[in-house]
Amino acid sequence: MGKWRHPGPGFFPFGLAIALILLSLALIFKNSKKDKIPAPFWPERTWLRPLLGVAILIFYALVVERVGFVITTFIFLVAWMWVIERLRWWTIISISVGTTVGLYLIFSLLLEVPLPAGLLQW
Amino acid sequence: MNEIIGMFQGLMMGFGIAFSWTNLLFALIGAVLGTVVGILPGLGPAATISLLLPVSLKIASPVTSIIMMAGIFYGAMYGGSTTSILVNIPGEAASVVTCIDGYQMALKGRAGPALGIAAIGSFIAGTIGVIGLTFMSPPLAEFAIKFGPPEYFALTLLGLLMATLLGEGSIIKGLIMVVLGLLLGAVGLDPISGSVRFTWGFFMLQEGIDFVTLAMGMFGIGEILINLEKELTTELVTQKVTHLWPTVKDFVESKWAIVRGSFIGFFIGILPGGGAVISSLVSYAVEKKVSKHPEEFGKGAIQGVAGPESANNSAASTSFIPLLTLGIPGNAAIAMIFAALLIQGVQPGPFLITEHPDIFWGVVASMYIGNVMLLILNLPMVGIWVQLLRVPYAILAPIIVLFCCIGVYSIRNTVFDIWIMGIFGVIGYLFRKVNLEPGPLILAFVLGRILEPALRQALLMSAGSPWIFFQRPISGTLMGFLVCFILFQIVRVLWKSLGRKA
Repeated sequence: MGKWRHPGPGFFPFGLAIALILLSLALIFKNSKKDKIPAPFWPERTWLRPLLGVAILIFYALVVERVGFVITTFIFLVAWMWVIERLRWWTIISISVGTTVGLYLIFSLLLEVPLPAGLLQW
Repeated sequence: MNEIIGMFQGLMMGFGIAFSWTNLLFALIGAVLGTVVGILPGLGPAATISLLLPVSLKIASPVTSIIMMAGIFYGAMYGGSTTSILVNIPGEAASVVTCIDGYQMALKGRAGPALGIAAIGSFIAGTIGVIGLTFMSPPLAEFAIKFGPPEYFALTLLGLLMATLLGEGSIIKGLIMVVLGLLLGAVGLDPISGSVRFTWGFFMLQEGIDFVTLAMGMFGIGEILINLEKELTTELVTQKVTHLWPTVKDFVESKWAIVRGSFIGFFIGILPGGGAVISSLVSYAVEKKVSKHPEEFGKGAIQGVAGPESANNSAASTSFIPLLTLGIPGNAAIAMIFAALLIQGVQPGPFLITEHPDIFWGVVASMYIGNVMLLILNLPMVGIWVQLLRVPYAILAPIIVLFCCIGVYSIRNTVFDIWIMGIFGVIGYLFRKVNLEPGPLILAFVLGRILEPALRQALLMSAGSPWIFFQRPISGTLMGFLVCFILFQIVRVLWKSLGRKA
């Protein structure tokens, strides 16, 4: 941590930690004065759609390097619009195909980002 | 006198740069993108610029990419009003108050004049802001060359505190976000001693948390997750927007609101911690106070649209002043442009104008041109952009998430960063649920890298005496201002609680 005369690497974070403790105590103290019943954190299953979104994102991060950008991206789009949004089939397919192709063209061909090829190595 | 001639020479050179075909094209792309993200609710300029940061290196030279990003930032101020007026949802945070009277005007069939006066006010105010940027930056930068670590510490601290105290919501919560942002900024190698901090054994964290990854998680993913809770359906008030031009009476009624809004935005934009959002709120309050018919506010008063919309544009332009002269970004969106400059290898600060005159004057000149482009994009062509509101969020959301994934992946070509982004996305979502705004956190994350070395170097200079911050004239003045500001806030809070008991 060091001294005032010669502050080390832990000096600043230590100060921040103290500030954080004081602020948290202030917040607890302030809220303890109100005695109303808090509103439910996730009323009426509102947690479901964000949770599904996170699940699809986790799937993407797990799979994209092994299976490759093109296939995983397509599955991602279909999954999102089908599971979360329940759109019509032809909408889902046409937008998924269009977006996958579009993203591939922009990032891989135009901007030359090396996207994971995965199974589609040629 | 020589300085003024120098400024005009610089501006001429800037126009030479800005009028090249490439730069005109990218200014237009920026203006169009800015209008689009301004119109679309749930996608703001900060998130959009962070999406483009990884690719900006590959697109173009530093000048060109900053011209585009600046265009996105002030373009969003134009677009934001459209959604506020037509749908009663702010397309962008700085257009929150425009909803109040803009939507009422639309309900009365006056959507056209509301959109028109917003665009014209934005143009006038935006241009006034750029004129300020042109003539105030060079002398300010020259002044700032004398700044040492104590001055930088005082200035960044002032900026951080002002941003939280002036912002909406609980002050304690805002300060908590600032502290968390500073702590996140400390992850990685210590800038002075080189020792490793808070990496939890992950080698990938040694370089620190990438700014883009953090911003995309907090702004991009976090915003999408919170929007997934409610099923967003946008309903347009009016199918067709007719009579875009405000009447002569409208002009007469709103001309002073535009002038006042321009100057309010001008000064709040320069303040550290100020910016477009705060200035629009202040302008609305002022308009209501000076109006002879305050009862009309909330029922479709045109001044309630003209004032705030002018203020946010003027502030958007002048908030470039602290960035380009001191190297201190005042708000989250400007912090993204700060990061963009760093990525391009340009250090924003008092030497930017002298070391990279092409960037400074090129970007400034492009802002004059960009405002003209935006006036054209937003007046005759507003009907086209309104169609964008018909694209359902159900389709937009997964595409934005993919953009974020590819964006962070492309920085270091590693899936590790997608995980980090996802984690910050979930954190950002939970923060929003408990009313913790991620804006101050992002700003603190960026400013932490100025604040911490400045603090430690200053203490080294003074052999451990914290009085150094008060003894030097400039930092002493700033600290004095800071203390007054804090005292004022404490008195205000105490006053309020006393008033409640009595």
